[in-house]
Amino acid sequence: MTAPFARMATRVYAVAANTFREAVRDKVLYSILFFAALLLLASLGMREVALGDRDKVVRGVGLGGISVIGGIIAIFLGVGLVYKEIERRTIYTLASKPVPRWQILLGKYIGLWLTLAAEVGILTAMYTLIIGYQQGTPGAGVYLAMCMLMLELTLVTAFATLFSTFASPLSASAYTLCVYVIGHFADDLYIFGKASDNPAFQSFTLALYRAVPNLGMFNVRAEAVHGIPIPGTEVAWAAAYAFGYTVAVLAVAMAVFERRDFK
Amino acid sequence: MASERGTMTLTIRTEGLGKTYYSGFLRIPYVALKDVNLEVPEGSTFGFVGPNGAGKTTAIKALMGLQRPTAGQGWIHGVSILYPAARARVGFLPERPYFYEHLSAQEFLDFYARLGDVPSAERAPRITRLLERVDLARWRDVPLGRFSKGMLQRAGLAQALIAEPDLLVLDEPMSGLDPIGRALVRDLILEERKAGKTVFFSSHILSDIEAICDRVAMVVRGELRGQGKVSDLLSGAVQHIEIVLRRGDEVQTRKPLPGDSDAVLDLARRDGWSVVTVHPVSKTLEHVLLDEVERARPVDTKRLGVLA
Repeated sequence: MTAPFARMATRVYAVAANTFREAVRDKVLYSILFFAALLLLASLGMREVALGDRDKVVRGVGLGGISVIGGIIAIFLGVGLVYKEIERRTIYTLASKPVPRWQILLGKYIGLWLTLAAEVGILTAMYTLIIGYQQGTPGAGVYLAMCMLMLELTLVTAFATLFSTFASPLSASAYTLCVYVIGHFADDLYIFGKASDNPAFQSFTLALYRAVPNLGMFNVRAEAVHGIPIPGTEVAWAAAYAFGYTVAVLAVAMAVFERRDFK
Repeated sequence: MASERGTMTLTIRTEGLGKTYYSGFLRIPYVALKDVNLEVPEGSTFGFVGPNGAGKTTAIKALMGLQRPTAGQGWIHGVSILYPAARARVGFLPERPYFYEHLSAQEFLDFYARLGDVPSAERAPRITRLLERVDLARWRDVPLGRFSKGMLQRAGLAQALIAEPDLLVLDEPMSGLDPIGRALVRDLILEERKAGKTVFFSSHILSDIEAICDRVAMVVRGELRGQGKVSDLLSGAVQHIEIVLRRGDEVQTRKPLPGDSDAVLDLARRDGWSVVTVHPVSKTLEHVLLDEVERARPVDTKRLGVLA
């Protein structure tokens, strides 16, 4: 008799591996990767047109590109995570197994996260090759910035997963994109509200600031490009924030998924 | 139909099971299933019949944990259907199944074997055995996206059998299959029955149900209209009398109801017809179902509609 934990781990692993396998066998993903490679190559050309420290501009554009493409892939894959199972009716055989639904969702989330990690890994390798060819090996800060990007995507993916449990991919994309964009401007939103004299507007910006995750804290790309050291406490705080927020969002997603009827 | 619960172990049991959908802003109710008391004995081959849209799939989805019932409750192997543990020894094939197109048949079965807690050492030999059993052994490494409908159905059956369940629940397993595919499904069901497993399957192909099942339940407009042994449902029941008459070169066939046959014979003789044959035609499951559909026809104003 297998121990309950080992049984759970086997099931979650099976769902995660299936989700990963499905994603890496999807041709659309390779198109995105192809364009990402083109973008990184194009960033080399920035050297000819940029002002100031041209090498840093190239490094910054490359890192920014990876970040945006990572976000696009997270949203693109995340919003269809549950919906596709329902649309293709594969959910019938999956949810009728003696597996609690939260384990199914956790497996799907982990599979998606692994896909993103592989994508970011491939893009970082491309970046290393391209920058290495033009400017020599990038500093360690670049790899730390990519780890911080993964923390950000961990959280963005959790939101995409949550929205996918009850909304169509189009609606879920719109919701996740809102969280993504507002989350990146959370600090600006806060400062913007503070600067206003209107108390109603101040309350509105403050509410929005508190409602969405602060994704700006994961952005250490400028430090990485300029070779400025990134404090360990900042990384630790970002990791704790991403982990805590992700657990909370996934818990809500699991509660929604648990009660969902599959017609 | 009398209950036989006292003398048998029930694999599936429901009490007052119901499902109402609410749609639109005004939350207009649609009663898809109403007060269903199902009793499926252990080891039986149980046919769940009814016209399209009668509520068969809704009932199966409630049993399989895909939809929460809005009324009543149900148990599989004594465990409430609200818990995943109720489906621990259950294999399920949904209606018109679609599977992960990117997986090969072998990967597909391995995935469901893991979800069904099949020990790792047993997975590979069991997959090989099952692929042979459903005649897909040479398609082992081909992605399901390239399978025909019949092949998908067979892969789906293998998926349902992978954890060697005690109960098989099949939703319209024969629909859309060619005669060879239907025969294969029929043989599989009979093999499971021989092995002492309980098989619960829905179908609107009544000849299949009559040929395979020992028990049957009928659902019409979301309500259970009877259940029990097929032999009890059909025993002694005569649908009509077929009378072949002859007058000179003219031959006629009349089909009066059993009570009217004497009068029809008297009238025919008076008009100069001679009787060639008198043959009672037994009721088939189709006749019984059509009678129930007819009986359920009066519109209940409380019911605003029925969904599949």
